[in-house]
Amino acid sequence: MSKKLGRNDLWRHVLAISLVLFTAFPIYVVLVTSFDPTGGISSSSLLPVKFSLDNYILLFTDPTVPYWAWIKNSLVIATATAVTSVAIGAAAAFAFSRLRFKGRKVGLKALLLIQVFPSFLSLTAIYVMMEQVFLITPTFGLGSIWGLYLIYIGGSLGVNVWLLKGFLDSIPLELDESARLDGASVPQVFWLIFLPLAAPVLAVIGVLSFIGTFNEFVLASLFLQDVERRTVAVGLQQFVGGQFGETWGPFAAGSIIASVPLVILFLSMQRFIIGGLTAGATKG
Amino acid sequence: MFYKLAGLRGPLALFLKYGFLGAADAALIWLISAAINRSSFIIAGVVAAALIFLNYSFITKGAIPLKFLSVGLIFFSIFVVTPTGYTILMSTFNFKTGNEIVKTAALREIINNGIVSDAEGTAYDLFLGKTSNAKYAGILENQVSKEVLYADESGVRPATESEISRDISGFITGADGIKSLTDEEFANADAEISALRFPLGDGSFAAPQGSNVAARLIQSVFYDPVLDQIENRVLGITYIDNGNGNFVAKEDPTMRLDPGWRTYSGPDNFKSLFLDEKLRDPFIKVFIWTIAFAFLSVATTFAVGMALALALEAPIKFRRFYRGFLILPYAIPSFMSILIWRGLFNKEFGAINTILGLDIDWFESPWLAKFAVILVNLWLGFPYMYLIGSGALQSIPAELEEAASIDGASEKQTFYTIKLPLLMQILGPLLIASFAFNFNNFNIIYLLTGGGPTNAIDGEVAGATDILISYAYKTAFGSNVQDLGLSSAISMVMFVIVGTMSMYTLKKSKVMDTL
Repeated sequence: MSKKLGRNDLWRHVLAISLVLFTAFPIYVVLVTSFDPTGGISSSSLLPVKFSLDNYILLFTDPTVPYWAWIKNSLVIATATAVTSVAIGAAAAFAFSRLRFKGRKVGLKALLLIQVFPSFLSLTAIYVMMEQVFLITPTFGLGSIWGLYLIYIGGSLGVNVWLLKGFLDSIPLELDESARLDGASVPQVFWLIFLPLAAPVLAVIGVLSFIGTFNEFVLASLFLQDVERRTVAVGLQQFVGGQFGETWGPFAAGSIIASVPLVILFLSMQRFIIGGLTAGATKG
Repeated sequence: MFYKLAGLRGPLALFLKYGFLGAADAALIWLISAAINRSSFIIAGVVAAALIFLNYSFITKGAIPLKFLSVGLIFFSIFVVTPTGYTILMSTFNFKTGNEIVKTAALREIINNGIVSDAEGTAYDLFLGKTSNAKYAGILENQVSKEVLYADESGVRPATESEISRDISGFITGADGIKSLTDEEFANADAEISALRFPLGDGSFAAPQGSNVAARLIQSVFYDPVLDQIENRVLGITYIDNGNGNFVAKEDPTMRLDPGWRTYSGPDNFKSLFLDEKLRDPFIKVFIWTIAFAFLSVATTFAVGMALALALEAPIKFRRFYRGFLILPYAIPSFMSILIWRGLFNKEFGAINTILGLDIDWFESPWLAKFAVILVNLWLGFPYMYLIGSGALQSIPAELEEAASIDGASEKQTFYTIKLPLLMQILGPLLIASFAFNFNNFNIIYLLTGGGPTNAIDGEVAGATDILISYAYKTAFGSNVQDLGLSSAISMVMFVIVGTMSMYTLKKSKVMDTL
């Protein structure tokens, strides 16, 4: 009764294959460009005519291109942001989901509403603030990735609480109630019941936050002026975003190196991430 | 079974808790003292408040929710609430290029600039150096009368030939008690030197014009703090505060003194946004495009993503490959994809023109640029729609479909009358969230087209593909005029729109009921 490759399946393949071509197009061009020593993005022919690793070598040898430092900065700041924001978000979401206190509903709504505010338009305010902080302690002020980290943490609370709360609400209340009856304190419920149950979701939020931070461009480009201190997003943009000349070869090579770990991370977490994305939808 | 939990009480837990708290306290206290040393009292105050709040929440016996929330709340209030409040405040301020500083600073600059050379154009040869206690001092020689003066910032006195030395052409090259400056010192202290004033005792003063010449200047502009007005005694003009951050001539309000200062301007920014034609027209065009862009982005990505979800619903050949490959755009860092697409659309060497054999400047035509933005956003966004679409499809019970087909409905009928309405119900909130996301999708506009082409709208700030957020950004941080007040007003408008939309969605999706 199942039709293997009948007429009915043809449209499915046609659609899927055209989308595969659409998806592959820029990826293919980037691959070709990264191996093209002339540095243009697709010269006259799209078939690779020359093959060289010059662009890759340049990234690691040219002293004016501290590519390793950029990668390192991005990894450090993305990891730190992911870990901290998950910790803070988990605690806050636990309180909002499990504890009853005055101002809870208002707090949740306020959190959501203020999150909707086009936040980076408060850039100027943040900039002025961090300038002052820089005078006091350069480690956390303007131009340092740790200053940027503080700002990312501040902005992450609203999103994470809302993402996590949806999940937390689905853990049956009876679990913590029986624990409380057995004499467990609230912090114990948090550490010993909630955290182990929420671990997969926390991992997803962590990965999403990692990817988001890795991708962040506006704040990073405004804050990290020093070449050595840039993140990979800001550093790579300089190759092609400048007014003067666009060097696509190194950009393409740098993009490929930087995206491979992210793509692997994403694909390996794919099932959990999709679950997290649709959880909000299917519960309704 | 929960007796096992006892492990989390007792000395170890306490040790950890107070260990962390102590470390945080030490860091914060250090920060406070550093701030006080720099006399940054606002920062010191904010950090002190955070310190007190943190300790209160952890040391008091009750207040358990606070223990879970305090750290997050501290970050949230400092880095989100405060800047947001500042932006809201700024939307009621006249705060743009030329009106950036406070009034006292603006006054100081006006007074400093309010000098003219004397009627005779008196000039001096100057030998400039520093005294033994590192104060600037110099020897002035009147170029006409050859009178020689010893000058420092407290005044001048006649100098004798015996205390100075000259080179063979007669230039003064040294003086007792004054150490000449090296070239490097000159270069580094350029600003300091040009601000030097040597009072000549009659209300005028000598000011260095470069390293070896000075001019006699007269203060022409005076401030009257009682009447709060400025007088130019040389020209005989009186300037009054126009209440809008500038001093203007009493007789002619269009004659402004620069710089102005930032000042409270009430609803002026909003008024000009809606009433001033020069601002209103671009604003309305940008606004319409923002809505169209967000709507088209959601519609195209949803249509393609949903079609794909339906196509891959059946266990066709290569399904695993399709699935794995087609979510790549979602996994690749988006700033890279956008920049890559920008290269592909390039007129001279872009792959798109190469393949199609065209010679089109995609980003110079408003419509082509808009098309490009939507196309790239489709590339970026359809995998997400596919993911949530297939998730939603799976949650529709198979019995529904079977029942429909038993009742004689065709596949098409089943889809349009049963599946689609159900899907929309499930995905509605996510689609609206996606609309809100695209409404504020700064990266794609900024990195792909930069908002251009600009000539289509006002030729200045707004471009044909600018959405509100990129327009606001350019208004605040653009290259020509930076108008933070107006930009904040635009953000406020966006805030109201997106905020209303989110609240409406939340109400609809009943999330709020189960809070």
